[in-house]
Amino acid sequence: MRLSYFSPGHGRWGRAALALGGLALLPGCDFNFWRMDGHQSTMVASGPVAKAQLDVFYVTCWVTLVIFILVGAVLAYATIKFRAKTDADEHAEPPAQGHGNPFIEIGLIGASIFALVIIAIPTLRGIWYTYEVPAGQKAGAYEVTATGYQWWFKFEYPKEQIDGVGPLVTGNELVIPAGRPVVVQLRTVDVIHSFWVPKLAGKVDMIPNRGNHLWLQADEPGYFWGQCAEYCGDSHAVMRFRVVALSAKDFADWVAGQKQTARTVAAQSTGADAPKVQFASFKRNQYGYSGKWAADAAVSPLDNWKQQQSPAPDESPVLIAQGRRLFTAKTCAGCHTIRGHEGIGITGPELTHVGARTTIAGGLLENNPDQMARWLRHPDQVKPGNKMYTTGYVPNNVQLTDDDVGALVAYLASLK
Amino acid sequence: MDASVKSHCTAHAAPAPTKASVFWRPTAKTGLMSWLTTVDHKKIGFLYGLFALFFFLVGGVEALLIRLQLAVPNNDVLTAQQYNTMFTMHGTTMIFLAVMPLSAAFFNYIMPLQIGARDVAFPRLNAFSLWTFVAGAIIINLGWFMKDGPPDGSWVGYAPLTSKTFNPDHSIDMWVMGLQLLGVASIAASLNFIVTIINLRAPGMTMMRVPVFTWMTLVTAFLIVLSFPAITIALVEVMMDRLFGTNFFEVSNGGMPVLWQHLFWVFGHPEVYILILPAMGIVSEILPTFARKPLFGYPIVVFSGACIGFLGFSVWSHHMFTTGMGTVATAAFSLATMAIAVPTGVKIFNWIGTLWGGHLLMRTPMMFALGFVWMFMMGGFSGVMHAAAPADAQQQDSYFVIAHFHYVLIGGSVFALLAGIHYWFPLIFGRRVSEFWGKLTFWIIFAGFNITFFPMHFLGLNGMPRRTFTYDANLGWNTPNFIATIGAFILGLGILIYFIVMTHAYFKGEKVKRDYWDGRTLEWSLPNPPPEYNFAVTPTVHARDAWWYEKHHPEEIAREKAAQAKADAVHGGIHMPFQSIYPLVTSIGILIGSIGVAVLDPGHKLAVALAGGVIMLAGIYLWALEGNEGYHIHADKEEPNQ
Repeated sequence: MRLSYFSPGHGRWGRAALALGGLALLPGCDFNFWRMDGHQSTMVASGPVAKAQLDVFYVTCWVTLVIFILVGAVLAYATIKFRAKTDADEHAEPPAQGHGNPFIEIGLIGASIFALVIIAIPTLRGIWYTYEVPAGQKAGAYEVTATGYQWWFKFEYPKEQIDGVGPLVTGNELVIPAGRPVVVQLRTVDVIHSFWVPKLAGKVDMIPNRGNHLWLQADEPGYFWGQCAEYCGDSHAVMRFRVVALSAKDFADWVAGQKQTARTVAAQSTGADAPKVQFASFKRNQYGYSGKWAADAAVSPLDNWKQQQSPAPDESPVLIAQGRRLFTAKTCAGCHTIRGHEGIGITGPELTHVGARTTIAGGLLENNPDQMARWLRHPDQVKPGNKMYTTGYVPNNVQLTDDDVGALVAYLASLK
Repeated sequence: MDASVKSHCTAHAAPAPTKASVFWRPTAKTGLMSWLTTVDHKKIGFLYGLFALFFFLVGGVEALLIRLQLAVPNNDVLTAQQYNTMFTMHGTTMIFLAVMPLSAAFFNYIMPLQIGARDVAFPRLNAFSLWTFVAGAIIINLGWFMKDGPPDGSWVGYAPLTSKTFNPDHSIDMWVMGLQLLGVASIAASLNFIVTIINLRAPGMTMMRVPVFTWMTLVTAFLIVLSFPAITIALVEVMMDRLFGTNFFEVSNGGMPVLWQHLFWVFGHPEVYILILPAMGIVSEILPTFARKPLFGYPIVVFSGACIGFLGFSVWSHHMFTTGMGTVATAAFSLATMAIAVPTGVKIFNWIGTLWGGHLLMRTPMMFALGFVWMFMMGGFSGVMHAAAPADAQQQDSYFVIAHFHYVLIGGSVFALLAGIHYWFPLIFGRRVSEFWGKLTFWIIFAGFNITFFPMHFLGLNGMPRRTFTYDANLGWNTPNFIATIGAFILGLGILIYFIVMTHAYFKGEKVKRDYWDGRTLEWSLPNPPPEYNFAVTPTVHARDAWWYEKHHPEEIAREKAAQAKADAVHGGIHMPFQSIYPLVTSIGILIGSIGVAVLDPGHKLAVALAGGVIMLAGIYLWALEGNEGYHIHADKEEPNQ
């Protein structure tokens, strides 16, 4: 809000608005919210499905706005015009005791139906369009499977088979090709979740014993925020994910890279001491991200994602080797798969290339060493009730020293 | 008159006994015992109102805690689990324990007066409904005092989150059991209202002369009778799954979680109209009174209300547009939902038509009623947006939905109920509420409400999902959330002042004469507060606005009343039913048994459940044996405050 609009000369309303504005500014708020251009805005359509849904919304918006103005004007007029204003009005004889007018009634019913038809036509068109990829584009459609877990998402690529293993699997970051339709098969292993990437498409639920799907398309390469939209238990609010849309070539490269087994860092300098690593400490409820995800970040989130794909220059082979040993010793391997290394479990997210993702902990935290350390140390605080803690740490009595955390962080970060 | 009432009259053509012979019948007219054993619809209505307002405050505190948590991003006033508990209990409390019973309070108190009846058809059943409602409310809220905590499965309790696998403790059992009891209470009460309205109308009160509030009571009662069985089935299935290991919703054994959603919403959508139709009825009473002219288009208002009731059963799946129903089902439910906008719009047009050409007296009930029309209209428009399924795919389960249904449930139902309390206060308590304080609370509530919920439209469109205990600061949600929290506390302040003003008026308000607002319907013909027997002489109805007609045809009415009084005297005066303790005993038995089933460990479960069952059966048995006897009184004295 431009507060300069309210100069002191504007009298008590201006001052009141200023005071109210000042009140709202207290926690560092901005008044741009009416633009609704956040990372998860439904008003910024980045693909044809979201666009179709937004168009229907605008139709409903305009029709109801017109009706609201008309009806509201009559209501306001009647209230003002027929209000008893004076004492004489109050005690006047009652007005004519009319009981209604059938012609007005029928006319208004007709008008209401007409207004609804205006909404119904694009609604019907939208229902069919958003349900299935249009016939002409079906051949070019790409298919993935998304599975909801309490509280993270697994993504499978049935078209990208790995010899002797099965389809390519990732977690919490769905990478798709831009500019072509993507059909997302929706599954769940536990309760009902809902797959929602507002800028690309409205939500569809993941329901047990029911095969749902949706389709979406990102017109341009980009980095999109998504979140579970159906209440699914304790940590529903922090069950998030990302969709990364890449150009055809980038996508092919990414798939090829993902099919590789986990990256192994050669430990040339055996015998060297493992470096000590210090991590930032966090309050229980502190944000899990840096300025990189701010609305006005200098580097676009997509470029940020691309930078994440290459190994850090200062990685320590000794520490990584130690982390790899701990991954088994601390029972992590029982739940997480790291293809080519020791991990074989399938109840937790697949981690073969976890270092190349921009998020961890189900899209909640930015994938950097500090946040990874925070997640490994206090999974219960970051995500109340999560399985890594309740069915991993607690029954297996997992205790991590600072050195253990440092080594595990280095190892996981090396898995590009 | 129905059969049982007829039998009273014949049985007591002889001088009536003042005490029943075989069974002890309580006769206390004051004190605790008089309230526990009452069968007077007015006392029962008053008790419904008290319990509802208490839970309205409890639900309000829960709402404020929710808003406090969401005031700023990553707040930690509440833990995730506490927050989930809070929104579950807020929704359950407000719908089942506040708005529904508050409507029931008006049904009980006002409806018999509007049709010229001396009580509801089954007075003891009415008491049973009240006490069973209280039993259900207690069980739902038991968790606050137990280690398992209150339920946290959200008010819609979607399977399989409510299954033993994902929610092993007893909190869900309490929720499931409590809701079943509320269903029993609601269905019993509704059957009672239906029989009352159909059978106990005063002579001359044809169905098309029945006041709109009573009409909406009838439609609502039918909705309850037809819709509660659906949720009861669903709840019994969940209970079976949890207690006996059946597989209705148990996914690993082939259960169908989506079945829960269908059963729940077959109930849940009519429930929306159960919450709003009484409000529409109240507003349809208030607007004509303060416009000083009859309701515009009475028949069409009545028919549109009934039409909403019918259509309300054909739109449940619009709550499920995101469950992947396929194109045809989605389209059908989408169009059916839009169709409901027509009868709803008709009501708004007719309310405006009622104002048109009137002399609008801007008293507090009128302010709330006009606030209702505006806010309900806005909620209706966002409802149309949800009806368009493709748009709903984005809005479903977002804050846009929260904004929508709070506009219809607070701006709609609650505004109308608050208006109703103001409107009928002089009748019920014989005192008036200060206009200054009444209007002040209206404006505070109106402002607080809009400051709270209008920003939520923006939040929803900007992608904030509902039922989330936290959010990050980088999504553009900070300002609307902060404003909403400020608004919530303004709204809370408004409600607090409302309660203080009402309490003050109850004790200290200026006493007023009968027919304080120059009303139009029969309840205003009564002295305030109305006597136990309501009408000294059963009125004869000649017109739609019966009391308005009486006031304008005094001689004709006086002649009729004299004749009617003579006829009554032949029967020995006014027949009054005896009070009874057994409805309460039966409800207590149900409460004990339900606690046994829902809350206790397997060791004690069976014993306590059986004990409760025995008490319940004893209560029913004695209730039946004590008979529906009564006594006669003579109201030939001059009525007070003429």
